Amino acid sequence: MMLRKYRLEIISVIAVIGFCALFLSTSSLMAGAEFAGSDTVGSSQIAEMTGKAEEDYQPLISQWVPPSGDIESALFALQAAIGGLIVGWVFGYWKGQKKNG
Amino acid sequence: MHVMEGFLPLQWAVFWWVVALPCLGYGVYQLKKVLEADREALPLLGVVGGFIFILSSLKLPSVTGSCSHPTGTGLSAVCFGPWITSVVCAIVLLFQSLFLAHGGLSTLGANLVSMGIVGPLIGWGIYRLLRNTKVNMYLTVFLAVALADIFTYVTTSLELALAYPAEVGGFVSSLVLFLGIFALTQVPLAVIEGIILTLVFKYIVALKPDILVRLNVFPEEKIRAAQSEA
Repeated sequence: MMLRKYRLEIISVIAVIGFCALFLSTSSLMAGAEFAGSDTVGSSQIAEMTGKAEEDYQPLISQWVPPSGDIESALFALQAAIGGLIVGWVFGYWKGQKKNG
Repeated sequence: MHVMEGFLPLQWAVFWWVVALPCLGYGVYQLKKVLEADREALPLLGVVGGFIFILSSLKLPSVTGSCSHPTGTGLSAVCFGPWITSVVCAIVLLFQSLFLAHGGLSTLGANLVSMGIVGPLIGWGIYRLLRNTKVNMYLTVFLAVALADIFTYVTTSLELALAYPAEVGGFVSSLVLFLGIFALTQVPLAVIEGIILTLVFKYIVALKPDILVRLNVFPEEKIRAAQSEA
């Protein structure tokens, strides 16, 4: 009964553990795995195909680039935080509605 | 899935913008209609949109030795359809192009087509196909989410292959190359995203099944049955 009720939760936990294990094995077995973003890998591929250096691809519309990877991480965290706030707020709102409903 | 700023020739950048804009416009119109009909749809939009914000901010490592973002769009496509999903994606992608230099303003059209339109459209299509069948509701959500994720990256590969056909082998060999970079990396991420968002859907069913019934996301019997089980 318990197993059936929490089937999805159990599958999720197993999947997350499997995902971590997969990452650990890849990172230890694959020499030279840099874990660069696929966007970056894609751009390098374009540069390689066209024989035009990556730096020569100039923005069509100029854009602000985060000055460092740390600042980029901070902004990504901000994005996740915005999402997390909304999700948490709504789940709390629904929970309250259910209790008072 | 972001095509970086400057990496699409002008004509392609314009082309994808032209494809994206009408879809976005229709999404805004639909969104207005849904919210006017039922204000309680707004919190649900907050949850599914919130997860697009969260998941698309995470760069996860994959078996190919590179990293990529999940998209989070599938659940929104199931609840609200692909057009409203494209509106939420437009907000996320604008944020990322302005503050993170992930994708740019000229390539926003192309990125919107992949993440906000084609991906959700495929996920939504699978969901529509399975919605009224005997297939388990959670399995349906899982498939919709995972496929929306994968096809976002398939679309990015298509966009790049169209803009940069290989000298030998042309479009097809170029597509294979880009699929190897984008779609392959994405497979484990799509699976894990599918599972996580299915779990989220389970909690929505447990907490607020009424809104799913009112928006006619799944047949009422399916939702009630799942609710009594949870």
